[in-house]
Amino acid sequence: MATENYDAIIVGSGAGGGMSAYHLTKSGMKVLMLEAGRNYDPRVESPMFNTNAEAPLRGVGTPDKPFGFYDATVDGGWEVPNEPFTVAEGSEPFKWWRPRMLGGRTNHWGRIALRFGPLDFKPKSRDGLGFDWPITYDDVAPWYDKTEKLIGVSGAAPARGLLNTPDSPPGCLMESAPPRAFEIFYERAFKAMNIPVIPMHGAVVTGQMEGRNTCLFATPCGRGCAIGANFQSTTVLLPPAMATGNLTITTNALVYQVDLDKAGKAKGVSYVNRKTGEHHSVTAKSVILAAGSGETARILLNSKSSLFPNGMCNTHGMVGRYLMDSVGTGVTGQFPALEGLPATNDDGQGTQHTYIPWWGYEQQKALGFARGYHIEIGGGRRMPSMGMAGLLGGDQSLVGDALREKLRNRFGSTIGFDGRGEMIPNDDCYCEIDPVAKDKWGIPVLRFHWKWGEHETNQAAHAVKTFLEVIDRLGGKPEGHVETDGKKAISKGGEMIHEIGTARMGHNDSDSVVNQYGQSWAVPNLFIMDGATMVSSPDKNPTLSILALAWRSADNMATIAKQGAL
Amino acid sequence: MSDAPEPYVSKIDRRTALAWIGVVGAAAGVGTGVVVYGPITGGERITRGYGTDPKLTKPEKAPWSRIMIPEQLQTAAILADYVLPANATAPSASSLGIPDFIDEWVSAPYPDQLKDRPVIMNGLNGMAPKLLKASAAERAAALAALAASSDRTTKKFWKKFRGLTIGAYYTTEAGFKDIGYIGNVARTSDPGPSAEVKAALEAQFKKLGL
Repeated sequence: MATENYDAIIVGSGAGGGMSAYHLTKSGMKVLMLEAGRNYDPRVESPMFNTNAEAPLRGVGTPDKPFGFYDATVDGGWEVPNEPFTVAEGSEPFKWWRPRMLGGRTNHWGRIALRFGPLDFKPKSRDGLGFDWPITYDDVAPWYDKTEKLIGVSGAAPARGLLNTPDSPPGCLMESAPPRAFEIFYERAFKAMNIPVIPMHGAVVTGQMEGRNTCLFATPCGRGCAIGANFQSTTVLLPPAMATGNLTITTNALVYQVDLDKAGKAKGVSYVNRKTGEHHSVTAKSVILAAGSGETARILLNSKSSLFPNGMCNTHGMVGRYLMDSVGTGVTGQFPALEGLPATNDDGQGTQHTYIPWWGYEQQKALGFARGYHIEIGGGRRMPSMGMAGLLGGDQSLVGDALREKLRNRFGSTIGFDGRGEMIPNDDCYCEIDPVAKDKWGIPVLRFHWKWGEHETNQAAHAVKTFLEVIDRLGGKPEGHVETDGKKAISKGGEMIHEIGTARMGHNDSDSVVNQYGQSWAVPNLFIMDGATMVSSPDKNPTLSILALAWRSADNMATIAKQGAL
Repeated sequence: MSDAPEPYVSKIDRRTALAWIGVVGAAAGVGTGVVVYGPITGGERITRGYGTDPKLTKPEKAPWSRIMIPEQLQTAAILADYVLPANATAPSASSLGIPDFIDEWVSAPYPDQLKDRPVIMNGLNGMAPKLLKASAAERAAALAALAASSDRTTKKFWKKFRGLTIGAYYTTEAGFKDIGYIGNVARTSDPGPSAEVKAALEAQFKKLGL
């Protein structure tokens, strides 16, 4: 390795790292990718058709596998062994989901691939809150087009022109699978409320696509896809990057520092091998951080030198600031109208087939919160899990044939409504280096600070109210205790696993860490290509935008490299 | 006909059993889909979980030692078969090895299961004398009393045991068949719901005024 002359080191192999590796290696650059986790190959490791009966404890989540035994996540989840983090005293709770595997969180993500809209890039100009991005939707739109065509996204539909809900140009998307019974069912209630229901944009190959397999319309995407029909960095980005001969991947390499040369340029990074504990330093002409917003900020903050005593690129205290997540809320309903429907295969395409984009842009002032949410809705006759007794609606007496009959009748009659909403960045949400705590290798860890604002808690309350109205219109009853107080109904910080910000892009080095192409202001050959650069946190799930922005940034970087300016 | 309940024989489906071979050396086949395991003979009790990186495509047997003794398994079998006895088209809970699953659950080292352990174990111990050495009539009365009980501890046990039994039962292939789950098969396309399903929905929309 010491003899290799790399053009770039990429830290991380998920959406940002995978996409930048894809583009740079195809541009002829020699790339070393460092991934903190182990090698992972979904082609042989995905338990696609396994039943819960084959898994320990019937597949339920445990602290070892919090999203269930079959979830693709390796060596992690809400806690990563040997790699703690802390939450500051007095902070609201913060959760941090981390895997340790090649491809990162693209292996288990929800495959919801929504574009940010024009208003999302200029929120402050519209309502005076938060911050504007230094770029517009039009700057990113061509990269969204390219990204959708590369990763394979379903959801094609005639252009609707809904406000801030971009229609992809023809040729970008494949058609979604048709709505299932529960999706036909809920659409009717939203229609009565004048709220549009449209096809979900899902990162799943639902039709013919060159070089890709089509979805089998079975098994949850979160287990991984052995045939590569959904988007994972490990099936879609890394194999073609490897095929160029320009990519070297080193796994179990936990990067903790960017190394500087005497001129103040990045000369490489230092990492610890998670298995052996050995420390290594590697060099390249440039460094790209795409370790995920938290880890990227941690690496910068831990990279201290005489030039950057408070962490690299942190002269103005911007690293770690404006950490954001999505607002999450959910209510489940049970619907007599769906009882006893004929058996149907509702496994579907992995993502929801339809969804509800935010509809209240024009009423925002009257609503009492500035930004909206979209609704993700799950239901249908899905593979039974340990929670089946929940179908009985509290009945504790039935046994035998009467019990069988009630379960059969109610199977598929529940629908879960989940809001995913925009959060406005605030001064109380950030991460910093914990002055005391360290990981197994002695590397200082992150300390998080979190506080939801009123715009978010009011939004959560509105979402719950909306779900209850929909459930009522459909003749259903909410299940369990429903929290209508937004402060209690809202998810915990980080819980939606959409943490972004911490090294945002901007116009200059006093208001931001990087420029619009992820190039850091302070160290010109240091780039950031993950969600850390995001300026706002629109309701749309961030992965598609991380991919599109990484591609745009990598393209700019390749141009700089060709000019010999790295 | 004897009053004694049919003896429960530990069993597990053949596919899992095959995956276990090498882990449980004492396994011996006794007919289609049924494997009897030898008794636990000494050795240290294992209390570790399966870890953060278990094999997913061919899951191994949960590594922790089982804590239930034959009387408790037998009691669990009677209770599980009270919840879901065999009928003309579906097997009984005990024939699907649900008591073994209950054992796996209460023996597990994770927080949720550790919380359930005393609830289930105390419940089984409390029910054992009423079920194992009772007449058929006494047994039936003891079972019927569970759902009707107003005692908090009994209610908690019944709710938990019945819930575990239902979950464990319907996560099997036999459970899929009984409840009408017809997915988990590769398809070339998803045609969406049938005309029959759509018509049924339309009828419901009329009732709901939608």
